[in-house]
Amino acid sequence: MTAVAFDYTAPTTVDEALRTLHSPGLTVTPLAGGQSLLPLLTRREVRPDLVVDLNGIPGLAGIEVSPHRVRIGAMTRLRDLEQHAELATALPVLASAAASVAHPHIRGRSTLGGSLCHAAPAAELPAVAVALGADVVLRSVRGARSVPAARFATGAGATVRAPDEVLTEVVFPRADGLAYEFSELGTRGSTGYPVVGVCLGLHVADGLVRAARVVVAGCGPVPVRLPGVEAELADRPVAGPHRGLVASVAAEVARGPGPEDQEYRTEAAGVLLLRALTARAAREGR
Amino acid sequence: MSGAHQHIGRPVPPRHHDRLVRGHGRFLADLRAAGVLYATLVRSPLAHARIVGFDASAARSDPRCALVLGPDDLAERTAPIPTAWRLPGQPEDRIPIAAHTARYAGQPLGIVVADTPTAAEDLAEAVRLDLDPLPPAATLADALAEHAPPIVPGAAGNEAGSIRLGSPEEDVAAAFARAELVVEREFTLPRVNPSPLEPRGVLAEYDPGTGLLTVHAGSQSPHSMRQDLCAVLGMRADRVRVIAPDIGGSFGSKVVLYPDEAMVCAAAVALGAAVRWVESRAENFDGAYQGRGQRTTARLAVGHEGRFLAFDAHILADLGAYATQAGSGPHQVTALTLQGPYHVDAAAATVTGVYTTRVPTGAYRGYGMQEAAFIRERLIEEAARELDVPALELRLRNLIRPEELPHTTHTGLTYDSGDYGAALRRAATLAERPPPSDPPWVRRGTAVVAAVEITAFAPSALLETFGIAWSGWEGVRLRINHDGTVTAYSGVIAVGQGIETSLAQIAAEGLGVPLDWVRVELGDTDTAPHSDLSAQASRALTLAGGALLIAARRLADRMRTLAAGFLGTDPDRVTQRIGSRADPSSPDAAFHGTDGARITWREVAHRGYRGWGNRKDTDRIRLEEAVDFDPPQITFAHGAHAAEVTVDVGTGRVTVTGYWAVHDSGVLVNPLIAHGQIAGGIAQGLGQALSEEARADAEGVPVTRSFREYAVPAAQDVPEDLVIEHTCTPSTAIPGGFKGLGEGGTLLPPAAVTCAVAAAVPEIAHTLTSLPLTPSRVRAALRAAGITAEGGLR
Repeated sequence: MTAVAFDYTAPTTVDEALRTLHSPGLTVTPLAGGQSLLPLLTRREVRPDLVVDLNGIPGLAGIEVSPHRVRIGAMTRLRDLEQHAELATALPVLASAAASVAHPHIRGRSTLGGSLCHAAPAAELPAVAVALGADVVLRSVRGARSVPAARFATGAGATVRAPDEVLTEVVFPRADGLAYEFSELGTRGSTGYPVVGVCLGLHVADGLVRAARVVVAGCGPVPVRLPGVEAELADRPVAGPHRGLVASVAAEVARGPGPEDQEYRTEAAGVLLLRALTARAAREGR
Repeated sequence: MSGAHQHIGRPVPPRHHDRLVRGHGRFLADLRAAGVLYATLVRSPLAHARIVGFDASAARSDPRCALVLGPDDLAERTAPIPTAWRLPGQPEDRIPIAAHTARYAGQPLGIVVADTPTAAEDLAEAVRLDLDPLPPAATLADALAEHAPPIVPGAAGNEAGSIRLGSPEEDVAAAFARAELVVEREFTLPRVNPSPLEPRGVLAEYDPGTGLLTVHAGSQSPHSMRQDLCAVLGMRADRVRVIAPDIGGSFGSKVVLYPDEAMVCAAAVALGAAVRWVESRAENFDGAYQGRGQRTTARLAVGHEGRFLAFDAHILADLGAYATQAGSGPHQVTALTLQGPYHVDAAAATVTGVYTTRVPTGAYRGYGMQEAAFIRERLIEEAARELDVPALELRLRNLIRPEELPHTTHTGLTYDSGDYGAALRRAATLAERPPPSDPPWVRRGTAVVAAVEITAFAPSALLETFGIAWSGWEGVRLRINHDGTVTAYSGVIAVGQGIETSLAQIAAEGLGVPLDWVRVELGDTDTAPHSDLSAQASRALTLAGGALLIAARRLADRMRTLAAGFLGTDPDRVTQRIGSRADPSSPDAAFHGTDGARITWREVAHRGYRGWGNRKDTDRIRLEEAVDFDPPQITFAHGAHAAEVTVDVGTGRVTVTGYWAVHDSGVLVNPLIAHGQIAGGIAQGLGQALSEEARADAEGVPVTRSFREYAVPAAQDVPEDLVIEHTCTPSTAIPGGFKGLGEGGTLLPPAAVTCAVAAAVPEIAHTLTSLPLTPSRVRAALRAAGITAEGGLR
């Protein structure tokens, strides 16, 4: 199939992009890495009047690591997240989650901002952004605003971004004392589409969990944090026993809406969490 | 024949690779045509509906529009497509182009032609369909439900007919009466999408001056397509020419004329212009005929000391909305091949075709034999488990031994040659290795399974006996040109498998000339000898190759005789000596007399074309041999596959960690191509084992419409430990001893993988009767067997 006929523009500054996006009455779609948008266009599931290509704007990409936060430009490619030396030290979970996405050809084009705005339910980076407590920065001709990642996605493929807004950067705090890791189950090996993902943050002292952060993706329309499971883990030996944990994850996730195979997915999320804890315990033990 | 030109058996790199890798491929979308227009099909969004209205007025009034044909227009311009292979009692024997009732979602109802592809899409959306919904029957169960409305108007129900193949009923009953163990299971083999890399496509050009319709099409069988187009459009055979350009895979999904392809041709005729349609991936999922689709109850009777007594099966075949040209054919092949390589006292199967409101099913690589292997090998594995004997031992005890061949099965197939036990033992040996240490949630298992493969399908008389309205013979024309170069013409088709290289090797060896003297021309009905079945049914190399070998030997004799005439000596005193890098006119490519006289190959060809030499009136002049080869019988390839899998009991994920295949396709012409064919077949088979299923919702509307929802195996899903070996028992029926191997690789992976999963987790073995083994399905079976997701973790 071919896309509907649309106009195309490639601004060279953010301001120019914002002015172009502010086109009341028109359906305007920003183009980032295009790895999700282009198939949607050719299948006519997205029918824009105008596509605004953000790839020619300098300054929308880049990783800036400072003592308390990491700022990442929206057009930063996932491949760059994966290979950035400072980021690997500051927030290694971002590199490992990025490396879990599809395969290198796709990661060379797809962007952090595009991934967040596409808001696929099982996607890796939105889940990590929620777990890390990131802020999503949006700009328009009307001004700039910052939205917590946990409130950014509102449903499968839906976010609070207004049609005339551009996601310009994502700001990750780095000082909450937890060490994060991301694990997932895909439709195939490591190159398939994600089915379920778990981002686990832990503070462990003397073999005991002092604080935990658990976010699961793929079990509902948006990534969800599981405060009940986090509380259950607190003060437990990280090595377990974690009796009933898989069931607790399922019970807490199942409170929300989910896909047809939610039962399978929630159980798998519990299994991923249990294995992440076991792996962490093994590392602690060394 | 010169010993310097032994080309058969050499791993020559396939000729088309260089061309394709450099971007010189010419696939359907690449073809140039002057003033070409673009078509989009208007397809039914509903699975079952009466078409009350097809309002194209908005589309027709758009300046970009060239033509719209709706159901009424198509009814005036087309006749239905005839079918070739029908079930007894089948209520319909034709497939309409013009439909006034849609029977599946995605069914083409009309066609829009415009000046650009985008305009054609826009205008197709502008056609307003008024549909009166009818109740869908999305599954076999829905279609066979007591009050299910008939899909074929006026029919009593949704059964399309039934046939029983194999042993007489009393023999089957007697064998089961003697049984010490009967294993009975119900198997579900889902519909799958053949998923060629290049979807279908047609470029049809009609010249009103000459009345000639030239059709470029991604067709696996251009002559069949031409015959069907003649019937549909009411045209003479010599006014339709079908040409297959480069084809990016087919796997059976491009063997017959489809209604949408016929609509593109009808539009070209109506416009007197060139019209191109290139199928989108979503359309390929919705509209290209699917493979498999079967629910089968089958049982195995086992007697004293584990001796197999009988196989019996009742196959419900999901034909979809129409019985296509070959209709229930694949399912009948399941029935024919259920017995496999084993001795039994009786074997029989009933095939019942069932109409459903889904896209029709048809040919797909393996053509019923994969289903037969899955059913049979699962029953055997289950019998071994219940008897508590090693499955390998049980199989070896019951295999037909080489000294017992030829052996005729209960369905009348005569196995010509092979050593089934050697392949099975070798595969089992290859798969033996110490298990690595796995995490507590991983179970590991290995299994080895066996099958025979119908190749060189089929003697024309056999097709006549079965009432299949196709021929089985294959013709070739081999020509030595006036410059001494060689051109071979064949009716088989290159679909990426490398057949043009293998055929060149056969011709070059038969003539005793360098390989690069030979060019192979395929795919054009104006030049290719007639072929009904062409490149399907693992037959291209065996039949075209066998014919070519005969033609080459004849032509080599004629060249020697001509040379002897020019040298003034007897043919048996002439020696053909051609250097391995010689060209046809060089002095080291010559015929030599005993007295030192010589004449170059090119000079012999050149003079031969002038009709010079001591020619008798009855001698032929043109240096061309046409050979039609009708095989005396089917020749049977065979193989054994071993799979090692891990099962993650927490996630249900099955991973194939090792795969070993031992194949016997007789004399291999090109081991490199043979390896590629088997490896590709295994990859496809792994997809059906683990991930592929063409699903629809309860209304019958497809939900797998892209590679996001439909997971074909990627490189990563094929184990690095993929070992392929060949044994060689030459065919006794085919010149050169060749056997086919186009489908062999794909027959066994579902059986091997599923039996390995059963070995890994015997607790769920009895439930492993349905494919694919998706993580959620395996996890559900594990859960039902009381195996918790924690998988040994605390």
